[in-house]
Amino acid sequence: MIKRYLSSLALALGLAAVVAPAFAEEGESLPSAGTNVADQASLQRGAKLFFNYCVGCHSLKYVRYSRMASDLGLSEEEVMTNLNFTGAKFGEPVISHMPEASAKAWFGKAPPDLSLEARAKGVDFIFNYLNAFYLDPTRPVGWNNTVFPNASMPNPLWELQGLQVAVHGAAKPGEEAAVEKLTIAQPGRMTPEQFRGATRDLTAFLEYAAEPAALERRSVGIWVILFLAGLTFLLYLLKHEYWKDVHDSH
Amino acid sequence: MANAFSRIGDWFNERAPGLMPAYRKHMTEYYAPKNFNLWYYFGSLALLVLVNQIVTGIFLTMNYKTSAAEAFNSVEYIMRDVEWGWLIRYMHSTGASLFFVVVFLHMFRGIMYGSFKKPRELVWILGMLIFLVLMAEAFMGYVLPWGNMSFWGAKVIISLFGTIPFIGSTLVEWIMGDFLPADATLNRFFALHVIALPLVLLLLVVLHLFALHEVGSNNPDGVDVKHGPKGNRWNPEKPIDAIPFHPYYTVKDLFGVGFFITIAAFIIFFAPTFGGWFLEHDNFTPANNLVTPSHIKPSWYFTPFYAILRMIPSFFGTAIWGVIGMFGAILLLALLPWIDKGEVRSVRFRGLGFRIALGVLVFSFLALGMVGAGVTSELIPAWFPGADVTTWENAFGRLMVLGYFGFFVFVWIYTRFGFEKTKPVPERVTMHD
Amino acid sequence: MANEEVVDHGRRRFLTATTAVVGGAGVIAAVVPFIKSWEPSARAKAAGAPVTVDISAIEAGQKVTFAWRSLPVFVVNRTTDQLAQLKGLDPRLLDPSSSDTGQQPKYATNPTRSIKPEWLVVIGLCTHLGCVPDFVPDIKPEPFDANWKGGFFCPCHKSRYDLAGRVFSGVPAPKNLAVPPYHFIDDSHIQIGVDPKEAG
Repeated sequence: MIKRYLSSLALALGLAAVVAPAFAEEGESLPSAGTNVADQASLQRGAKLFFNYCVGCHSLKYVRYSRMASDLGLSEEEVMTNLNFTGAKFGEPVISHMPEASAKAWFGKAPPDLSLEARAKGVDFIFNYLNAFYLDPTRPVGWNNTVFPNASMPNPLWELQGLQVAVHGAAKPGEEAAVEKLTIAQPGRMTPEQFRGATRDLTAFLEYAAEPAALERRSVGIWVILFLAGLTFLLYLLKHEYWKDVHDSH
Repeated sequence: MANAFSRIGDWFNERAPGLMPAYRKHMTEYYAPKNFNLWYYFGSLALLVLVNQIVTGIFLTMNYKTSAAEAFNSVEYIMRDVEWGWLIRYMHSTGASLFFVVVFLHMFRGIMYGSFKKPRELVWILGMLIFLVLMAEAFMGYVLPWGNMSFWGAKVIISLFGTIPFIGSTLVEWIMGDFLPADATLNRFFALHVIALPLVLLLLVVLHLFALHEVGSNNPDGVDVKHGPKGNRWNPEKPIDAIPFHPYYTVKDLFGVGFFITIAAFIIFFAPTFGGWFLEHDNFTPANNLVTPSHIKPSWYFTPFYAILRMIPSFFGTAIWGVIGMFGAILLLALLPWIDKGEVRSVRFRGLGFRIALGVLVFSFLALGMVGAGVTSELIPAWFPGADVTTWENAFGRLMVLGYFGFFVFVWIYTRFGFEKTKPVPERVTMHD
Repeated sequence: MANEEVVDHGRRRFLTATTAVVGGAGVIAAVVPFIKSWEPSARAKAAGAPVTVDISAIEAGQKVTFAWRSLPVFVVNRTTDQLAQLKGLDPRLLDPSSSDTGQQPKYATNPTRSIKPEWLVVIGLCTHLGCVPDFVPDIKPEPFDANWKGGFFCPCHKSRYDLAGRVFSGVPAPKNLAVPPYHFIDDSHIQIGVDPKEAG
């Protein structure tokens, strides 16, 4: 009896653990981003990339510098001198200082806020998107992207990645040739391996930004589950004890 | 101490003499069959989730802003700036989905063991009303975060009323208070979600329980313990196969509660979006009246009904047939006590035909859920490369619609015209453990 | 039917008590997040961050109100004439020497209740029930006080304070107006919310 209940608890938890990520892969599947939000060093590197290459256009309007500092293990001084270039106060959110009007003029639309991008699009999308830019003279900004075709953003990290170009396959009649693969035409400051690591860090930072509570949630959750498992066991013993009356009274 | 307690007890007894008898009637002297199995946990679990929704809901209203301009921001404010706000929100969102898990299982139990049959038709009808109100409650709650799925979900569901001939389009505008879901819609849905519908829900739950306690609980054998031999170890007048609800079923249900909360906590702390099923990816984008999300679909608990809507084509120039089919699917469930004429309650002693039909019902319901959620449209190309997805999905979906409605038609013919060959029902309940 | 003796009442009581205690602890732990959700949020805390204000435009004898943590903070540029009146008021006041340490930081525990004598910085909320007192600076008889030397008068329940925010005896308010933490960044700027040594 007791084994049955314990094993069914384990089974149910195991099932939930297997089912949840299995269902996570909705939509077309992209190679995994392989991010780890629990890795603080990765988040710090990602934050540095974000504040050097992204914040010029993109805000994180739900992320406060102060909260980010404590979650990423950075001091107020480090954040205010190394990351905050907009003159915002420590308790204020990360707002890009690019005027919306000029953004529209340059890119056709205002660059979106990225606070929730990792939850709306998924980390795999972001990671692969950042790696999939290639030069395309037919586009207004000169760039295109295989993961998000006709994206209006040029590659913000081209100095790091280098210039990527597309290798087209054979064109079917009446259609444009599909992109077969991307190759580096002119190397950047990073090797391809380093660049994947950097974009992984940046993706991890955006994953953190989308749900800062994720760090706390997991660390609290373990204790909650352990406590509840213990309580359930006690409740099982209690039930078993009382139900002796019932099983005796046939 | 004991003396002080009994004096407080006496004080209440003198002023409210009905309290103790009511407690006895519904707890210590409510005799329930002793052979409840796993399926009998879900009623009390539904009550638990209801309490969770009310408590967490009240705390969410403390920081939620009811306006189209602020709603989305205020939810993120709860998720980030309010101390423990994320926990309260995840408890509410996970609770909403688990509510339906528990209620679906509870309803299936009722069908499987014939709990809807005489004399419990009223219990069943009240339960179906609870289900209807719960669906309205869930739908309106889903609109409140004002994400893009909230917005388009509201748009699509409200548009269902537009299919009603003559008054449809006026009705749609009246419900929205605007020409698209807007501030006015959000405000009225908030009012209904946080006060009007919960009040109705609580009233119905109380009536559901009272109606049940009047006639007594059914059990997995479908045997009427009231009509069996009398005299158990607690009371010589009461049925031999019944036990007092308190303490035996309170401790048993508490164990179920512990088990259930452990699983719920796992979801809340480790998979709060449940891979996009409990909180959808597209709802992390603010409402945008110009862009419909590419995968527009309702929350998972509506998908079977949504699939029925989608699978029934419009003809005679109106789309109302799908809407009729969708509401008919629920209405037929409510009418089950009069459709199923079988004398035997529990599936354990019913004919093979019923067992197969029940299996078909469950399979079609789950399959329709998959169709409605868009899972089949992904599986078909994966399993059968080159197949025409729409054709195959429609064929499969319509077959499942037939399966769902076929259950009710079959059961009526099967039981009305005496095709069912039942097994002998035992005199007394059986207990397996 | 079983007989009652089979039941181990000791074990049953022990299990009931243990489960009740552990379950009760769980319920209390579950209540904590709900109670804590009422604490000032990150936004409220950010909005309550120190504020820096420019005082160069405040003329002698004038009061300007600034918001800090949504509270009105009065900054008064007192004239020498006004300052001269403070000493003589001592016998009519409840706490003339600012002995209640909760109402001002150490560096404002002095006769003028300020860092620089002329600059008064106080939270403009009456210590009675929290109304905002009126600034009545002129030294002339007032309907509420024939011997008025300038100060603050609360319209709600007629509490009176002098120009150092010290409360008069015999009015409803029990304490002097509170002085917030503040310091001078330079001659024309003060930062409200940060003590001088923290800023140092």
